[in-house]
Amino acid sequence: MVDMANPVIQVEGLRCSYGDFEAVRGVDFEVARGELFGLLGTNGAGKTTTMEAVEGLRATTGGTIRVLGADPLADRRAIRPKVGIMLQDSGFPGDLTVGEMVAFWRSTSSRASDAAEAVEALDLVHRVDVRIKQLSGGERRRLDLLLATLGRPEVLFLDEPTTGLDPESRQRVWEVVRGLLDGGTTIVLTTHYLEEAESLAHRIAIMSEGRIAVSGRVADVLARQPARISFDVPAGFDVCALPILAGDVVHHPAGRVEVRTGELQRDLGDLLDWARRDGRALTGLRANHASLEDVFHAVRTDEKAMSR
Amino acid sequence: MILALGRTELKLLLRNKTAAGIAVVTPLLIGALLLTNEVLEWTFTITVQLVLMLGFTVYMTVTTSLVARRQDLYLKRLRTGEASDATVVVGLLVPIALLGLVQTALLLGMSTAAGAPLPDRPLLLVLAVVGGVAMCCAAGVATTAITSTAELGQITTAPFFFTLFGGAAWTMVSDPVDLRMLALPGGQIAELVKAAWGGSTEHVPVAVAALAAWTAVGYFAATRVFRWEPRG
Repeated sequence: MVDMANPVIQVEGLRCSYGDFEAVRGVDFEVARGELFGLLGTNGAGKTTTMEAVEGLRATTGGTIRVLGADPLADRRAIRPKVGIMLQDSGFPGDLTVGEMVAFWRSTSSRASDAAEAVEALDLVHRVDVRIKQLSGGERRRLDLLLATLGRPEVLFLDEPTTGLDPESRQRVWEVVRGLLDGGTTIVLTTHYLEEAESLAHRIAIMSEGRIAVSGRVADVLARQPARISFDVPAGFDVCALPILAGDVVHHPAGRVEVRTGELQRDLGDLLDWARRDGRALTGLRANHASLEDVFHAVRTDEKAMSR
Repeated sequence: MILALGRTELKLLLRNKTAAGIAVVTPLLIGALLLTNEVLEWTFTITVQLVLMLGFTVYMTVTTSLVARRQDLYLKRLRTGEASDATVVVGLLVPIALLGLVQTALLLGMSTAAGAPLPDRPLLLVLAVVGGVAMCCAAGVATTAITSTAELGQITTAPFFFTLFGGAAWTMVSDPVDLRMLALPGGQIAELVKAAWGGSTEHVPVAVAALAAWTAVGYFAATRVFRWEPRG
């Protein structure tokens, strides 16, 4: 399904400035056909600026961008019919009804899909005759996604599609996104929700201060961070009593012992053997691979260390 | 595409009571009230009617509606679709220009019904209306650059709006007219109306040139300073 030899989006040395401030400082990535590429990072990391440049909505100050083989800004007319864009914040004329907006957007799309099906897929059937200004935030965001996907895009940009959505709406959006991936759509997604990236993205890049700090397949990015084992401090515990482990042991004053290790299976086995031998109960025992949260945290820590 | 954009924009204009009031009701109401007075000079009445249409229906409406669409982040959305930037702007201007032309027809119809003679040179009247609409569309788009909110549009449109009325008034009360009045937006409209109803055609070329020049200035300003998003 994912064809890495055939990139649909190629970004090389991308730079964007606002006056004196350089928001994007040399970003490279490729997105293969049928792939979902997740762009993560804190507010101000340069995600949206990068997205807008790749969408062809913003002039760049350096580097090259190719989307479906064309320059998205200069060749906008040629590629736009094949591209869907859901901006982080774009609005609606509040006085139109949902149905009118969908009909209007269809009439400007050269490859529009069926309006009724689209409205059904995003659970807006009961709101078709309601003016947009009366919609809830979640409903507006779903209408946003509906419009972005209405033209059967080959390439879809989703800038924080689920920010502010309740869990049910978020699931609905994820379902639609998975359906599009199954249909072969190439997607670039930005998000603040790490679980969203973990569950949807084939590959991710974490941006920090206008650059890509970490990138790769989700599993590979996670494997670069140590896993964690933690348990409640047993009564009369002495750190020296622990077996020799591959990872680092941290004794939290709040009453947890934490082991950060690149050798999760071995260290966990040694710990369990130690506990059984001594007849200890390790209450609250947890063992996890690193989460994107950990990766994120590590990037932030590097960022702070750099700025010092 | 322009048709779809225009149809939607017309719907929005008519659903917004303030905008519809300024664009539709005000010129018709004042234009009709003018006729209840004893008419001294028909070219005077018709010039005022045209300038009302240009100022309220076209110029102010272009600025306030484009700014409102920008504030709603609707302009930003339109740029994500297949329409080019120029198509988007033209699509939003078309219904306003049409509204202006319909207003003109209604106002002139009322005047004719009230006893105004038909113009001797209708082509010059058409030139005044079409040229005026083009100039006011261009100026309206350019004015969005200094207008951050639709409410502020009532203030930022004032300079051009009053120049339009002032230029027309100055030209109407002056005999002979000279370059100073013809150079002001509005002056050409009055001069073309006078010429259309049998007045001297001596200044028509200058008036047309000035109208074209103001439209060009507005167009160049508009294409350089137009913003698609509200200032963050």
